[in-house]
Amino acid sequence: MNEMEEKSYQIMDLIKKKVEKFCTDWSIKAVLNNENQIRFSESQIDINKNWNEIKIILFLSLRRRTLDITINDLRPEAIEKALQNCEKLLKIAKININYKRMPEGPFNYKPLNIYDTNVVNLDEKAVDLVVEAIEAALNEGASRVAGSFFHGSTQVIQSNSLGLKGSYKKTDLNFRIRAFAEDMYATGEAISCSTHLDHGFNVIDTGKEAGVICKQAVGGKKGKPGLYNIIIYPKVSTELQAPTPSIALNKYTQKMGLAWLVGKNEGDKIANNIISVWDNGTIDYGLASSPYDDELVPTKKSLLIDSGKIYQFFTNTSFSKKTQESTGNAGITVPKPTNTVFSTGDYTLRELMEISEKPTLLITSTWYTRYQSYAPPGALSSLPKDGMFLVKNNGNTLDPVRELRINSDHFHMLEHTIALGKELKQVSTWLGTNPVFAPYMLIEDIKMTTGTK
Amino acid sequence: MIENDAIAEFALEYAQSNGKKCEYVEVRSEINSTDTVAFINGKLHIGNLPIELTSDAFARKSGLNIRIIADGGMGMASTNQLTKKVIMESIDRAYKIAKRSGKHRREPIGMSDEKVYEEVWQSEYKVNPMDVSLEEKIKFLQGFVDIFKQKYPIEYIHIFVLLSEQRDTYFINSEGSRIKSHVPRVAFIPVIIGIKGGGQNEQSMTNYATTSGWDDLISWNLEEKVRYTVNKLSEIVLKAKKPPEGEIDIILGPDVAGIIAHENCGHPSEADRILGREGAQAGESYLREHEIGYKIGNDCVNVFDDPTIKGSYGFYLFDDEGVKARRRELIKGGIFNEMLQNRESASIFHTQSNAAARAVSYDREPLIRMANTYFAPGDYSFEEMVEDVKFGILMNSFTEWNIDDKRLQSKYVGQEAYLIKNGEVTDSLVLKPALEISSPGLFRSIDAQGRLENLKWQGAFCGKSEPGQGCPVWTGGSHVRLRNVRLG
Repeated sequence: MNEMEEKSYQIMDLIKKKVEKFCTDWSIKAVLNNENQIRFSESQIDINKNWNEIKIILFLSLRRRTLDITINDLRPEAIEKALQNCEKLLKIAKININYKRMPEGPFNYKPLNIYDTNVVNLDEKAVDLVVEAIEAALNEGASRVAGSFFHGSTQVIQSNSLGLKGSYKKTDLNFRIRAFAEDMYATGEAISCSTHLDHGFNVIDTGKEAGVICKQAVGGKKGKPGLYNIIIYPKVSTELQAPTPSIALNKYTQKMGLAWLVGKNEGDKIANNIISVWDNGTIDYGLASSPYDDELVPTKKSLLIDSGKIYQFFTNTSFSKKTQESTGNAGITVPKPTNTVFSTGDYTLRELMEISEKPTLLITSTWYTRYQSYAPPGALSSLPKDGMFLVKNNGNTLDPVRELRINSDHFHMLEHTIALGKELKQVSTWLGTNPVFAPYMLIEDIKMTTGTK
Repeated sequence: MIENDAIAEFALEYAQSNGKKCEYVEVRSEINSTDTVAFINGKLHIGNLPIELTSDAFARKSGLNIRIIADGGMGMASTNQLTKKVIMESIDRAYKIAKRSGKHRREPIGMSDEKVYEEVWQSEYKVNPMDVSLEEKIKFLQGFVDIFKQKYPIEYIHIFVLLSEQRDTYFINSEGSRIKSHVPRVAFIPVIIGIKGGGQNEQSMTNYATTSGWDDLISWNLEEKVRYTVNKLSEIVLKAKKPPEGEIDIILGPDVAGIIAHENCGHPSEADRILGREGAQAGESYLREHEIGYKIGNDCVNVFDDPTIKGSYGFYLFDDEGVKARRRELIKGGIFNEMLQNRESASIFHTQSNAAARAVSYDREPLIRMANTYFAPGDYSFEEMVEDVKFGILMNSFTEWNIDDKRLQSKYVGQEAYLIKNGEVTDSLVLKPALEISSPGLFRSIDAQGRLENLKWQGAFCGKSEPGQGCPVWTGGSHVRLRNVRLG
């Protein structure tokens, strides 16, 4: 056991002794994080960061009055004071009708491929990877590049009032690069993420992809507003397609009426038949994969949308019906998604461009998706950020276009998704809710608008 | 805090010892506390929020942030394990990675020369919101929940969030600055969605926020304001009609003017965007192509940012690089007049920092941020603005909005909006008028800014960078009039 682990166990033990005295149910989760980020712009490194932290996440309940708190002030007197405050709050809080109980177990946990010692030992070699990716983008025609490379490891240690215990380690890699041409409005962005250096992670190809897109985007003209088919890159799904399975299919969100699936139930049609979606906390190399959730329930692969129809909402123990098991998505008071995984289709990107019968835009990334309202139908607009192209001659010609804005809603986009790419790519962006495995998608009849002045 | 101060001093000393050759070192010790109480559709929720307003909504944090410049590269270490051993390891690592990164730079990172300060400052308040009991906070929120006990012609979803925070910092650097600060904040955030079947709905999110204490917040007659919003959403859902077509004039209310000042002027004026440092995160700026002195709008356009406004949500007197705060005049007389600068960007532009470096907690690097951004008061009364409009709309509030990453193409969808005919605001509500316009197009359409008496502020969390930092700010303005624009 290293010093960080030893310290974490000591703190957990101290907290356990205190909370046992005033809580009927409790859960203590220690997150030991050694994370790094290299940020770069103008093709050079701006800052190289390291976080070395222990974070304690507590769920506390006194006869169904609940509270969750994050403590990373580790001074003993600060912990003591925070817990005294929690005790006081629980005594005067009202019953949380959304919390019923925690599961009893015992459970068996499957080993997952989510930890790579090569990532732990990456250290200064991370700088070399960044430099190689920058060069790859520049070689494809970019005049300058910016980006960010997160890499690190996390250990999670957990125990609860029902005697369940667990501990696991995982690693993470998230590399994002944005290439700029001489023309500052011609840009391309690409992303690579995984838990392992040798599975689905390649910074040089990512740099090349960003460089190619930015070069193709040079000379873009203002697009004409109107109805288009759009073909979206996997990254775009984090904002346009994944929010339905990762936010609206959350049992809590549904119950509280906080999303666009209010009034929809299992069996209701919400998407084209070709769309199936899973929440999968067990997928190898998935950034949100883990052996168990916050209730120490084993994570699962849960079908959420089955051929266009709602199959189930993801949930924790308290939100599960009596006859239903948790889907392994605790949050103890509010369920949370793991990895959102879309079904695949039969098409390559080139074939999607060939089969689209109407004026078609190829959209490589989006940004600043905002809702008019979370209530149905979840009307939104979103801005294509990097290379956007008008597809001509079955994809033989890509004319760069700019200044068009997507105006749609989640029902429309899911129902009008008419073809899927044949391969999944893991994508995780700071604009999305959670990691997503998505293919290229062809979506029909999307209204595009532009500025009037 | 005293023990943390000592450990910060130790860190600064250690970073400059054992043969380490640093061009610059700074250490920021912080203690941050956040308490959040919410009612979601009438149900009490204590703890981290299920909606994305802020992360760690119920938290106790304490730790150190160390930035080092060595061999022209910058390294940062952040830890909450405040033992000498861990801190020494963190500093050694920051030093090593700074040097390693510096090898790949064309130009070394520098810091502008700034005055050294030894200061203690805090916001002025009577009642610290962190000291207010849970009972009192629940009672405060219950009043808003009770608004929904009566019957309305439409259904509502309602969320009331009360976010109390306290940030205590101790900043020291290798140049001799030693600055202590203490700022409690409180924000009341009502989110209300009015719904009628068939997809007709209207969503409002407001943020009433202050650094002048709990007593300031509760003096604002907020129940009346929320009741007004509830009734207005119902009217909009039931009565609002399609917006007019063709060229019209638009008068923007203070809330809309505030968000525009923030998005179309404040963000693009951030020097790190102009230099490209946020290129893969929050984006760049259309002002990258222009110099200071570029004529961006009509002569009447003035947009300022001022951290020193007492009670403001973005209040501070020294930034997180130890530079004394002052008002920044971003657009003055229609001219791009000043950028928001930190010490790193100021050294590149051969100028001084104007104290725009802010971090939200010890585990984040200080970045160039706004504080309180606003359309500065002009010469027009509201009545004078309206009487010159033959046909147009008054857009008092907004719902959906977005803007591209260069801050050039923006969209603001109006919420409470009325037709103006022949110099009078009518009772006719306009449904979701969408102003979709470029930043220069917008600033060049403005022909009037309202007087000081109508200046209003709204709280907000300004998002930027990766990992994200939701920075507390105010946005504001009086009324602003746009001529001859077309709705999208």
